[in-house]
Amino acid sequence: MQTLEENPHNIKINLAKILTNLLHYLLPWTIPTLIIISWQLASINGLIESTILPSPWQVVQTTITSLQSGVLEQNMAISLYRALSGFVIGGSIGFLLALCTSLSQTLNLLLDSSVQMLRNIPHLALIPLVILWFGVGESSKISLVTIGVLFPIYINTYHGIRSVDSNLIEMGHSYQLNSWQLFWHIIIPGALPTILMGVRYALGVMWTTLIVSETLASSAGIGYMSTNAQSFMDMSTILMCIMIYALLGKLSDLMAKSLETSLLNWQIKGGMING
Amino acid sequence: MHKLVKRLFSTIFLVFIIASAVWGYTLTREDSSSSLETITIGYQAGDPIDIAKTRGQFIKKMKKAGYKVVFKQFQNGSAEMEALASGNIDYARTGDTPPVTALASGSSITFVAAGSSKAKGSGIVATKSSGIKSISDLKGKKIAYTSNTSSQYMIMQVLKKAGLSTSDVTLVDMSQSDASVAFAKGKIDAWTNWDPYTSSAELTYSGAMIVTGTTVGASNRDYIISGSYAKNHPAASKALIKYLGQDMTWANTHKTKLVKMMTKSLKLPKKVVERMVNRRSYSLKAVSTKATSEEQAISDSFYTDGITKKKVKISKYVLNLK
Amino acid sequence: MADTILSIENLSKKYQGKVALNSTNLKIKNGEFVALVGQSGGGKSTLLRLIAGLEPMTSGTISQNNQLIHGINSNTRVMFQDDRLLPWKTVRENITFKKPKNSETAEVVNQLLERVELQGFADAYPASLSGGQRQRVALARALFVNPEILLLDEPLGALDALTRSKMQKLILDLWQERKMTVILVTHDVHEATKMANRIYVVKNNKIEATFENPLAYPRTDATCTNLSTTILNKIIDQD
Ligand SMILES: Nc1ncnc2c1ncn2[C@@H]1O[C@H](COP(=O)(O)OP(=O)(O)OP(=O)(O)O)[C@@H](O)[C@H]1O
Ligand SMILES: [Mg+2]
Repeated sequence: MQTLEENPHNIKINLAKILTNLLHYLLPWTIPTLIIISWQLASINGLIESTILPSPWQVVQTTITSLQSGVLEQNMAISLYRALSGFVIGGSIGFLLALCTSLSQTLNLLLDSSVQMLRNIPHLALIPLVILWFGVGESSKISLVTIGVLFPIYINTYHGIRSVDSNLIEMGHSYQLNSWQLFWHIIIPGALPTILMGVRYALGVMWTTLIVSETLASSAGIGYMSTNAQSFMDMSTILMCIMIYALLGKLSDLMAKSLETSLLNWQIKGGMING
Repeated sequence: MHKLVKRLFSTIFLVFIIASAVWGYTLTREDSSSSLETITIGYQAGDPIDIAKTRGQFIKKMKKAGYKVVFKQFQNGSAEMEALASGNIDYARTGDTPPVTALASGSSITFVAAGSSKAKGSGIVATKSSGIKSISDLKGKKIAYTSNTSSQYMIMQVLKKAGLSTSDVTLVDMSQSDASVAFAKGKIDAWTNWDPYTSSAELTYSGAMIVTGTTVGASNRDYIISGSYAKNHPAASKALIKYLGQDMTWANTHKTKLVKMMTKSLKLPKKVVERMVNRRSYSLKAVSTKATSEEQAISDSFYTDGITKKKVKISKYVLNLK
Repeated sequence: MADTILSIENLSKKYQGKVALNSTNLKIKNGEFVALVGQSGGGKSTLLRLIAGLEPMTSGTISQNNQLIHGINSNTRVMFQDDRLLPWKTVRENITFKKPKNSETAEVVNQLLERVELQGFADAYPASLSGGQRQRVALARALFVNPEILLLDEPLGALDALTRSKMQKLILDLWQERKMTVILVTHDVHEATKMANRIYVVKNNKIEATFENPLAYPRTDATCTNLSTTILNKIIDQD
């Protein structure tokens, strides 16, 4: 009997909870949705000329035809390959370099000021050099992404390691940890939040650099699709590419975020170990 | 349970991403049937090389002749000239102006072949609202052109013909894509360019072609240019001219097919492509003395106007395959 | 009971030429509960850190069980005012740290956690614990290796009064159960008199005075007041 009495109350609470949850999910989408709807309406009413700005529906159609012909998938896969390999190469170099300079005073003196100097060069200014050295093939595009990704990872890893709580390191010493244990159990986890911030930032740099590099003597990739469309004022393809950038950007941000939540779950109050 | 689902989902997602990247990698590796000598050709969208590439015959014939052809698309002629100079491409199809300025700046390039005149499709298009009817109306107007392209020579020749100086008009140097937006929005009065931009400006934005290259002797031919490669590989150059020539003959005799093909690849309205194709003919042959003297005229005129700093004798740089 | 566990002779420490501890002599017997009190900057923490082997000494000797100490002193454990728990490790991992995970160590951890009243928190991360709970984890961690000497550097300094008095009782109980030696650094003279057998006043970088405190446990506030006043006077005494 008691349970029966309690039920309506529970349902009410649950309903309210579900509604607020729903609102949390939907609220971020309201502005983009409103913009797209009004844009579509303006296009239908001829307020926006389709040669200047095609309607969302036209963009969707272009996307569908590009998907059906396989062109979009291929270009996306090629861009993804360039982006990821550049990221992996640049990320590893930046990370290892930062390990060297943050853990060894000698290497720090030797390398850090040079790296800091190079870091301030806008990496897109290196395009002519990259073309001279690596040509116009894949390696030039990948190396441009590499350079773009290298520095944020370097800076954040360096900074993260340098700012690990010295009390914790002393604690490790008093437990007589060897260098490897100290590194693996204290320094890396301590630096991880900052490193992951670098990763997130580098993912953004990765896409912007890739898009620029794909406008150079390219014959494939999303950046190529967009510049190619640009030379013929193919606005709906250009818009499609812009949407794809936004999507890829959001996607990599999500990936970085979920990496953060899974690796840094100890930061959350009340977080329990996974196992 | 929730955690498990989440983990499963991220794993699948990760595998998908990596698999796509690997697929992308395989796509970038051109099939390496490698005993063939590789020739890299630079081109721009919609040009004769693009036709040969899309038609697909050229690549097969070259393969039979022992060459593996790789195409690289460029945004403009200056980028192609840079790539030639650094040896990243072996041949390039450009308009008539980039090789002239490249020579004047000391690059060592060779004219390998020349196309037929595109004078009818190149010229100045005026917006409807500008009220420009003839070249004398250009006085005081805002005219867009793109430096280091045929449009630079074109606008100079037109101004000379109209008896105007550069201070009588407002010249704006813009990229093709910027200029087309400016034209569509009426931010400029006239636009100096070539097909398919001229026909697009005429048909899509109801502009009027007030003067063409025919009037001022600007042919705006296509040229095949090479760095040192053509000189060292005469056989390759010969094969290239021969097979490209065959594609051009095909283009002249199959205009409906050509229009269909280019409409698709350029994603332009059919009527625009039609107009472009119908007011020109296609060819690629060894460089004639007529073409050489046209290039010489451009070179001299640029030198006189101070655009280039060096006098160049064009005939010295024309490839002689005999 | 009466044998000396820790013997310090002429111990000095300078930081970049600045004296932190000046030729100090000290003998502590096995099983004693000793407190160090005194003005800030007097050298209490320095003395503790030297005993733990966290800093090299400038001159003098420390010997524990007649063996000279150099490098990390693995028969001691230090507990600081800040808990120094690794935020990325669970309570259990923080306690065992270097020890391999087997059922035996798991059992020891469970017993320790039960003793500090944190059963059920073994798999929690430090971020989800209160300040008092974290200090209890730090205490359990220090006790896990069964140190001969437990070094406490103001471990209760950041806790509220109630938690503090609970922790004082816990530490006293553990000291009596385990028969270990404890050296407690504290700002709170009253805490020292309530807990320690002997109290050293550290002043001007050396030990200025020693007070025996033979009162029986459990001690009440009232019984300690007199001694506390005497010690406090000694600390603020300008000589
Ligand atoms: N790492 C260090 N480098 C330089 N000087 C130090 C260092 N550690 C301590 N000192 C100095 O040594 C002296 C003694 O410091 P210590 O920390 O031992 O004092 P304390 O008695 O623990 O003080 P408090 O009660 O404030 O903790 C102080 O003057 C302090 O400035
Ligand atoms: Mg201190």
